[in-house]
Parts: sequence; structure tokens; C-alpha cells
Amino acid sequence: MARIELKNIQKSWGAIHGVRDVNLDIADEEFVVFLGPSGCGKTTTMRMISGLEEPSEGEIIMNGEVMNDIDARDRDVAMVFQGYALYPNMTIYENIRFPLRMRGIPKGDQDGMIRRAAELVELSDYLDRKPGALSGGQRQRAALARAIVRQPHVFLMDEPLSNLDAKLRQHMRVQIKHIQRELKITTVYVTHDQIEAMTLADRIVIMEKGAIQQIGTPDEIYNDPANTFVAGFIGAPPMNLIPGQLQGGVFTAPGVQVAGLTQDYAGAVTLGVRPEDCHVTSGSAHLTGSVYGVEPTGDMTFLTLKAGEKLIEVKADRDYRAELNAAENVAFDSARVYLFDTKSGERLR
Amino acid sequence: MASQRRKTKGENLALRYAILGAWALFCLMPVVWFLSIGLRPRTEIITPTPIYWPSFSLDAWHMIWEDWPMGKYLRNSVLAIIGSVVIDLVLAIPAAYSLSRFQYRGREDIGFYILSTRMMAPAIVAVPIFFLFRTLGLLDTIWALMLIYAAINLSFVTWIIRSYMLDIPKELEDAAKTDGAGEIRILWEIIIPAILPGIITASVIAMIFAINEFLFTLLIASTPEAYTMSVALANFTGGSDGVIYNAIALVAFLAFLPIFLVVVAIQKHLSRGLTMGAVKG
Repeated sequence: MARIELKNIQKSWGAIHGVRDVNLDIADEEFVVFLGPSGCGKTTTMRMISGLEEPSEGEIIMNGEVMNDIDARDRDVAMVFQGYALYPNMTIYENIRFPLRMRGIPKGDQDGMIRRAAELVELSDYLDRKPGALSGGQRQRAALARAIVRQPHVFLMDEPLSNLDAKLRQHMRVQIKHIQRELKITTVYVTHDQIEAMTLADRIVIMEKGAIQQIGTPDEIYNDPANTFVAGFIGAPPMNLIPGQLQGGVFTAPGVQVAGLTQDYAGAVTLGVRPEDCHVTSGSAHLTGSVYGVEPTGDMTFLTLKAGEKLIEVKADRDYRAELNAAENVAFDSARVYLFDTKSGERLR
Repeated sequence: MASQRRKTKGENLALRYAILGAWALFCLMPVVWFLSIGLRPRTEIITPTPIYWPSFSLDAWHMIWEDWPMGKYLRNSVLAIIGSVVIDLVLAIPAAYSLSRFQYRGREDIGFYILSTRMMAPAIVAVPIFFLFRTLGLLDTIWALMLIYAAINLSFVTWIIRSYMLDIPKELEDAAKTDGAGEIRILWEIIIPAILPGIITASVIAMIFAINEFLFTLLIASTPEAYTMSVALANFTGGSDGVIYNAIALVAFLAFLPIFLVVVAIQKHLSRGLTMGAVKG
């Protein structure tokens, strides 16, 4: 088991900066998810933890020991890859056995370890098959078994579910979380899927352009976003971000007026409010707009309103229906309205 | 409706087989022709009028085995070819691994240099190679043939294997590294099995080039101790007996046979190997 510290980690290739000044302390047994769009540096950061990539600057410390000069094979980390990376010439049994052989585990112990790992991922009946004869989900489970078989200090998972269909992904998510809790192994997980991040993580690290934007529990990230990037990245549909002006505690934008704001600031700001914190009302409203789209999904209805030039998403009741271009009033949940500095994107508190 | 469709399908299949059969026959014509020349009497080979049904004769067969050390030529060819392919693979696989996987200055230039050695006209290096082998005391030995065939084929064997290695996902190696494997283990246990069709393809092509090689073999081999099948063919083109066409045809057939059998035995790998690089490249 391991505690991982990243201190001032930088990674650059000539003039291109992949990772900038990353500082992170991952506790023993913690499940940390790196979340961000493609090219944000999350996979590079994970590869530096694994030893497959060297940091240009900074220190990677595991259990108090600086790992920068230690090869990937000597770090006692196990990695699960997006493309499974199963050895195609070996059976699943041989695949799971490979890390045991490489680490010199006595032959007599290997069989039991392999079968236990296979059992944990429900793959016992497929051990004599080659990877090519398995479905995507089975292959991913085989990759998982290969990672857990020797009980490493750290699990690293690089978008392991992105090649699976939605139903299987949900099933695998539950399985991964269950296994991690059972084995109590420090886990770093990379994804661009916010649902995976929210459901799996003890803490989420949100990255953009090589830098960490926010670190926090899923609740903190969702309910207390540090900037407009985090606010706009998390949530489906994402938070409505409405640019406007703040003067004397009153926010105004075309079709929007919110009074009683406590931030001591005047000037250009962006108001953020989540679609579920917007309520269609016939009473006093914060926003008035025209109906742009109505999308019933069964358990709710997505309403899109046009206020000025801005499209605002609202999660309305399942029975809500409206004609296009009809005028509609929306009230915000005042306790869940966020303000950001328009220029820097940082949260105004 | 359904039966009509089945019939059309059946007819299509028959037509397909007929066309493919005709094409196969056309491709086999040189072999059949060689065999028919090799197994007829010498007097029936060059005649003013065509002979459609020649008489069967094993004269040439007896001649090449009894009057000439054909077994030795065949053995020399097989040993020199196998030896050269082994040398090629031992050198080409690590070279290709390095060229395809490691980043270092001049990597592309080295790769091109290796390939460019193939562009040189063989006659340019014939004389220096003769003196080199004479100095090494390797003239008229199978060892020299192995080395020269290996040298001729090394560039493209390296290049072919390199292109297959480039097709292997980097993730496989990364997985092996985090699993605790070193570079040699990764090459031996992960990369080589994954590119086996490519290795087989490169080996077969090297074998074909080697068995056809004539210039350097003639230069290096001066007695039956090192003669190969390709040089043996020349034995039947001169001398007091004139050009012995039926013997030439049989020897050519014998030279063709081992490679043909190898190709038949591994054709599944070979066709996969030939298309794998093409599709993914």
C-alpha cells in the first residue's frame, strides 16, 4: 500500500508543456480520479507516476522514497490500459501469470493467486482462452485481473472503460470500486467521463492545459466549483454560465436579474447556476426567456430557454411541456447561485 | 424464388471455381512445363515438330544424381540458406527493435542507410568481397555463402521486421514494463510472438533471394564443396554434352521445391503477414 506525493511536477517536450507544476498528495488506500478533457495532461501525469514517463522537473515520492530514477518495472505499480494491452499470444491464464513470473513469485504460489484474481473479476471460466476470443468486457476484466494478481502498491487505470458500451461500463465501474475497496490499494484513475469520476473517486483532480484546476471530493467539486472551467466541465448538462454585470449586489444580464448577492465586487462577472437549480415558475423570476427546445427524457424534461443570445438549460418536471417561443419564467435556487470573475474565471466568494 | 436464388448462387460459385482453377493452372504452367521437360528423353526436347504426348523418361533424374553430386549441392543450398536466415534474424530483430522503439539522434538516417545497402549494384562489391573472404580463408565454404546471403538480405529483413514492430501497440510494452519485464524479456516474450507472421514473411523472402543468388556464389564457390543449386544449373549448360535441358529443368524444379514446400506449410502465416503490414501500415 502506498502514499503518493507529487511535488512541483512538470513535463515538457521542448516548447510544449504537457504538465505544469502539479502538486498532489494521495493518501494510502485512496481512490483518486484525474478528470479533464483530452490533452489536459492527466494521462501524462499518471505515466509519470508509473515510471513510463520521466518528469522534466519535480519529484514523485512513494512511501517517502523519491521514485524519479526508479524504472517502471521496479515501482510495484500495476496499470490497466484503455486498449486492455493483453498479450495476444498468451492465454488469459498466462496473461495473469506474466507479472508473477516477472517478479519471481514461486511457481507453487502462482496458480492459487491467478485463480483468486480470476474469481474476483468473474473470469474463472475463460482462463484457457486467448484474448482474441473474449468480448470487450471480458478483456477488460482480464486486464484488471492481471493488475490485481500480485497486489501491487498502486493501481493505475488509464481510461479503462472507455471502449465499453454504457451498460457494461456501469457494471465495470461497480466492480472496480468494489475490488479497490476490498483490496485497499491506492488507486489513480484517469478518465474524461465525469460520471466515472463522480461515482468512483474519493477525490477528483480536475486538470486543464496541464495544470490542476481543483482537487476535492465529488461533492465539493460539484457544489463548490473553483472556477468556470470546473463549473462547466462537471454536470450533465453542465452548469449554465451567464456573463453579465454585478453592481451593488445585483447581477444583470439580458433577460436575467438576480438581487441580494453578497459578493463585494463590481464589474463583469459570470453567474453560474445548475439546470436542476432552475425552476419554472409563474411567480417572481430571476430569468425570463423564450422556449427554444423541450426534450422529455421520461424521468424529467430538459427545457432550453433563450435569454438574450444565451441558451439556458433547465431540468423541468417530467410532465412539463411548452410551445416553442412561448415566454417562460425561471427562478434560481438562491443558495446555489455562483459568481465568477469573467476575466480570470475564478470564483468570487 | 429461394431455389432460384440458391441456383444462381451455386452457378456463381462454380464460375468462381472455374476462373480460379484456370488461373491456378496458368500459374502452375512453368512448373508443369519444367517437370515435363525434366521427365522426357533428351531427344524429345528440341524437335522441329511439337510433341504433345512425350514419352516418360527418368534419364535426367538418374543423371543428375549419379553423374553429379546433386545431394551435396542441395545440402549446401539448404545449409547456406537456413544459416543465412538465422544470421539475418539474429541481427535484424534487435536492429529493428531499436529502430522502431528507441528515440536517438540519427535513428531515421541509420534506418535509411541500412535500406540503402540494398540499392548497391552487387558487381561493385564483388571484387572486394572476394579478397575479404580469401583473407579470412573462407573461400569455397558454406560459411562464406551463409555470410554473403545474410549480408545481401539483412537490409530488407530488418526493414520488413521494423515495419511490423511499428504496428505493435506501444501499450503492450508499457504493460509489460509495469508488469516487471525488462527490454530483452519484452522483445522475446511480447514483441517476437506478436510479429511472428512478419518474421516468417521476411524469412521466406530472404530464402527466395538466397536460393536464386548466383553471382557471389559463383565467385566464392569453386568446387562442389560449396556449389549450390543455382550454380549447379550452370554445370549443365556447357561441356562436351552441350546444354542438357532436361537436367537443367529437373535441377530447377528441385531448387524450387524446398521453398515451395516451406511456403505451403506456412501459407496461413505468410498471407496474414503479407497483408498485416499493408493494412495497418
